[in-house]
Amino acid sequence: MAPEQISSKPLGPQIWPRLDYSRVPYRLYHDPEVYQLEQENIFRGPVWSAVGLDIEVPNLGDYRVGHVGETPVVFCRNDDGVIHAFVNRCAHRGAEVVRFPRGNAKDFTCIYHAWCFSKTGELIGVPFQRGVKGAGGMPKEFDKKDHSLTRLRVAVWKGVVFVTFSDRTPDIEEYLGPLMIDHVGEILARPIRILGYHRQRIAANWKLYHENIRDAYHGSLLHEFNRTFGMSRLTQKAGAYMDEHHRHSILFQYSGSDSDEEARQAYAENMVQRQEYLTLKDPSIAKNHLENSRGVTTRIISVFPNVFFHQIYNTLAMRQLRTISPDEFELIWTYFGYVDDDPAMTEHRINQANMVGPAGLISMEDGEALEIVHRSSKPDQAKSTVLEMGGTGPIADIDTRAEEVTVRGFWAYYSQLMGLEREGAER
Amino acid sequence: MKDVQLRLDIADFILASATALDRCDYDTWLDLFAAETRYVVMPRENLELDLPIGVMHCSSKDSLADRISVLIHASKFNPHYDRHIVGGTAIRERSEYEVRTATNFMVVQTTLTGVSKLFCSGEYEDRILLGEQMKIADRRVILDTFSVPNCLATPL
Repeated sequence: MAPEQISSKPLGPQIWPRLDYSRVPYRLYHDPEVYQLEQENIFRGPVWSAVGLDIEVPNLGDYRVGHVGETPVVFCRNDDGVIHAFVNRCAHRGAEVVRFPRGNAKDFTCIYHAWCFSKTGELIGVPFQRGVKGAGGMPKEFDKKDHSLTRLRVAVWKGVVFVTFSDRTPDIEEYLGPLMIDHVGEILARPIRILGYHRQRIAANWKLYHENIRDAYHGSLLHEFNRTFGMSRLTQKAGAYMDEHHRHSILFQYSGSDSDEEARQAYAENMVQRQEYLTLKDPSIAKNHLENSRGVTTRIISVFPNVFFHQIYNTLAMRQLRTISPDEFELIWTYFGYVDDDPAMTEHRINQANMVGPAGLISMEDGEALEIVHRSSKPDQAKSTVLEMGGTGPIADIDTRAEEVTVRGFWAYYSQLMGLEREGAER
Repeated sequence: MKDVQLRLDIADFILASATALDRCDYDTWLDLFAAETRYVVMPRENLELDLPIGVMHCSSKDSLADRISVLIHASKFNPHYDRHIVGGTAIRERSEYEVRTATNFMVVQTTLTGVSKLFCSGEYEDRILLGEQMKIADRRVILDTFSVPNCLATPL
């Protein structure tokens, strides 16, 4: 089959040119049919999506709006202290019920026709249900019980509020698996305090961000600051690991495991470093105070399908992703420190946050990298991206950053949920 | 009359800080800051929640100079032109030595192929030292457009 014909083919496993996902058709970033199927099969499928942190709703009646894919959801602390979650869409006419990103409520009243819902999403009031002066009103058989907001399963793990639409989703700990429980659990082992939020809108498909997060190769090539100050270099001791399903991943590294000279030489030989390293007048931003016993200096963690955790030196953050369209997504970065940090550590974390987020010295480039891929791949959707760094064929953990195997792992799991897995494909 | 002159001087000074960025004249821009200074771009969301993290956070002139140095030598971002549109300056507090001011602004970004979009709107909250040469001792940029499109590379 000529490659040009692929994009007009019906969506199915045959869209994959290879069984090991070393070629990814550009169509998967652009096709509106793919995007709709993702909302159903992934975001409303058997997965846990993070919508926020329990400390964002400390008091009874506190609520917070989040998203699962593009679906707006609200989580709220009920009078018994338990967190409930529901889709933010009135059961009457589909209006958005909660219109503020956060707040405190006794109940939730839709502004359109004043239908009123409890903190758990049950319909408790319909104005003029019996009509006026014997005329109009709802039919006798109308039962409020049948018109709750769409309620979601909730799991609060280490303070992270996860929700799922599906009854088939396994328990949260089984879903996360030992690798995530180990690493995310370590980052969240002490009580945390939120230091602030960043939000960023990127005009690219959301899966390009998943690829970016799992792409160990780009970290020191796109982000020159990383290379210069040794936050991330291909010459360092590092690894890229996944859970058994390859749905979650972690890239980690040990800063200080290479020398500046060794790195300079390696990057010069590979024609990357063309001039002298720049220096900083105030180098404190690039200092690391080791906070974990295994000596890992950077961890970039992806929990399928919508949340990422990072420890980059002493900046700690959760990044939630929400899809807006096939061509746009938003990232919400929630920065935190520990409740028992001393003032000097809090100040250090605030300063070091300069490295990350939409203006981050080691991360501002990601938005542009994704947008240029999205823009230039659109006109030729039968063509494919190339993922061969770190080898082709089987998908497995690897102890280097010169790899893209973890990116192939994402596509393997994605294809299973999407019903796009070819017979005999790598998993 | 003296008051009118001071208002004009302050307005000129703030306008100069904005146009220096539009021209990518970073030396001139840095020169407008005092030796001891602070520059923070604060998302309005964090301001309202009383949370300390900024999108940019430079607590000294050295760290501000580093931000510029990295921008020039290492950062990669969407190539574009910036235009700061600066509103009138309100003087909130005034002493013999310094003024505290508030100035609304917008930035329009234009691609190198000539397509313009509103990039952000916000407010400069400045503490400006008076003297022969005015200097910014503290600039807090309140960023209303805190869902940043793509990235924020150049300071505001």
